[in-house]
Amino acid sequence: MRLQSWIGVVGLVLMLSAAEGRAQVTGRIVGPGATRLEIAVSPLDGAKGVGDRFAEILSRNLTLSGYFRVLEPKAYLEGSAPTDAGQINFANWSTIGAKALVKGTISQSGDSVSIEARLFDVAQHSQIGGERYSGSAERLPQMARRFADKIMEYLTGEPGPFDSRIAFASRRGGRAKEILEMSVDGYDVSVITNNRTINLAPSWSPDAGSLLFTSFMDGNASLYRADVSGRNTRKLSSGRGLNLGGRYSPDGQKIALSIERGGNSDLFLISSEGQVLKQLTNGAEIDVSPSWSPDGQQIAFVSSRTGTPQVYVMNADGSSPRRVTFQGSYNTSPCWSPKGDLIAYVGREHGFNIYTLNLKTNQVHDVTSGQGNNEDPWFSPDGRYLVFSSTRVGKPALFLADTSGQQQVQLTKSGGDDTSPSWSPRLP
Amino acid sequence: MKRVRERSIALCAVAVGLLLLAGCPAKKKTTLGEGETTTFGQGGTGGGSLDRFKQGLGGSEGGPLQDVHFDYDRYDLRSEDRSTLQANAEWLKQNAAAKVEIEGHCDNRGTVEYNLALGAKRAKAVKDYLVSLGIGGDRMSTISYGEELPLCREENEACWSRNRRAHSVVLQ
Repeated sequence: MRLQSWIGVVGLVLMLSAAEGRAQVTGRIVGPGATRLEIAVSPLDGAKGVGDRFAEILSRNLTLSGYFRVLEPKAYLEGSAPTDAGQINFANWSTIGAKALVKGTISQSGDSVSIEARLFDVAQHSQIGGERYSGSAERLPQMARRFADKIMEYLTGEPGPFDSRIAFASRRGGRAKEILEMSVDGYDVSVITNNRTINLAPSWSPDAGSLLFTSFMDGNASLYRADVSGRNTRKLSSGRGLNLGGRYSPDGQKIALSIERGGNSDLFLISSEGQVLKQLTNGAEIDVSPSWSPDGQQIAFVSSRTGTPQVYVMNADGSSPRRVTFQGSYNTSPCWSPKGDLIAYVGREHGFNIYTLNLKTNQVHDVTSGQGNNEDPWFSPDGRYLVFSSTRVGKPALFLADTSGQQQVQLTKSGGDDTSPSWSPRLP
Repeated sequence: MKRVRERSIALCAVAVGLLLLAGCPAKKKTTLGEGETTTFGQGGTGGGSLDRFKQGLGGSEGGPLQDVHFDYDRYDLRSEDRSTLQANAEWLKQNAAAKVEIEGHCDNRGTVEYNLALGAKRAKAVKDYLVSLGIGGDRMSTISYGEELPLCREENEACWSRNRRAHSVVLQ
C-alpha cells in the first residue's frame, strides 16, 4: 500500500514492515492538489460531549497539517465503539474511503478526563500507535493537539508543531494595537496587552513562558517582557528612542535587539534582565530585526548599509557580517528556520512576498507568489510551516503555509488587522 | 502531560511612566476593550500624534510648524522641503522658548520594524537641518512612530505620500 501526501521532504513514514505482517506506508512530495491521506476521526467512546470535542479539535489540526483529508463524520457507518483492532469492523471504514482511522476512549470523573486515543491502518486492520492522556477537562484541547502531533510523528517520523502558540499584534479590539496569543487552530485566544496604545513585534522566550514586545505604553518605544500568565510585565530596555525587535538567544540567556539613539538604529545584545552586554553593529545606516540561528552562533538581520534594506548574516559577536539577499531593492524580516537550513524573509517584488533562502544552495523560493501583500514570516517549531500576515482577503490576517507554499490556509479572520506573528517553541 | 498555563491580561502588571494603575487581577481575559477605562497621563506633550491617538483623535498636519514629506524608503530632504523647514526655523527663532518634538512617520508599505527605524532617520534628518539653520539641538527631540499612526489609511499614492512625513509638535 502506498499513500502519497502533498507535503514532505520527509518521505512518509510508517516504519512498520510488511515482514512483521503490518502495513508499510510510504509517500513523497507531489504537486498541489495531490491526494491527502483520507482519515476518519471517530468521537471518543465514553463521554458524548467531550468525546466529540476531542475529535473536532483533532480534525481541525490534522486538516491544518496538510497531510490529511478528514472524512465527514456523517458518513461514518460504525459508532465510536469498539476501539480494539480485533473488534473494529474495518470494512465499515474502507467502504467510506478511510485509509487511516482514529478511535479511542474517554472517561470523565468530576473535572478530570482520561483519554486513550489510537491510530489504525484500515487496510491492514492494525493499530499504528496509541497514546494516553489524563488531566483536567480544560486541557482536552491540548490533548487533541498533542495527539495530532503524535499522528504526524507516526506517519512522518517527526512530531507535528500544533502543541504550540502563535503571538501576534492585532487591532481587533478597536484602534489600539495589542499583543494577543492563540493556539495554532485558533480555538483559544488570550490577551497579553490591553493598554490601548501601540504594542508590536512579539517574540517568544525559548520556554514559551513569556513574550518580548515593544510598546509605546509609556510614550517611548521600550522593550518589555510579559509572562503569558499576564501576571508580570517588566521593562527591559527603555532608553529614549526605539528599543525594538527583541529576540531571545536559543539558550534564553541573551536578547538581541535594535536600539535607536539620536536617529540611528544598531543591533545590541542585552542580558535577559536588560543589561547591555555588547554592541553588535555600528554603522550610520539602519540595522534592525535580528533572528538567531538555531545553534546561537549567528544572527540574521536587516541592514540598509548599501542603500536599500537587505538581509545579512553575522556571527553572534557581531563579526564577519555578509549580505545574503541580492534580488530586488527591499528584503526585510528575516526568520531563521529551526533546522538552520533556511532563512525566510519578505521581499518587495510584485508586491510584498514571503521568500525562503536556502543557505547551502543559495536558492531562493517564492512561497506566496503575489497573493496580496505578505509580511512577517515565522517558522513553526518543526520548520515545516510558516505563519505570516497577508492582505489577500482585505485587511491583514494570519495565514499558514508549508514552506513550499503549495498549501496556504487562513488562520484568523480579516478585519482584525492581525500582523507580526511569532510561533512559539513546542510547549514544554 | 503538561499543565495548561493560565493566561490573563497584563493590564495592571506595569506601573510605568504616566501609567499608574494599582492592583492586578490574575484572571483570564480573552477579549479586548469593552468598556474598561484606562487612565493615561494628561498634558505634558501637547498635541503629539500618540497623545492624540490616546484621546481618540486622528493625526494632525501643520500647526505653527509645517510637515515635510519623503519619497518611499528615503529619508533625505527634498529641495521643496528645505524652504518649508527654513520657515519653521524662522518661527523657532521668533519663539525662542519653544521646544519641539519632531515625529518621523512612514506609509504602511513595508515592514513594521524597518519602518520604525526609517521614521527615526526622517525625524533626525529634519532635526539636523534645523540645527544647520541655527536652532539649538537641545530644543528639539525626535521620535519615530513608523507606520503605526498614519494620517490616512487608503491604499493609494495620495494617502501613502501624506503618511511619509516628519511632523513637528510644539511642546509646552
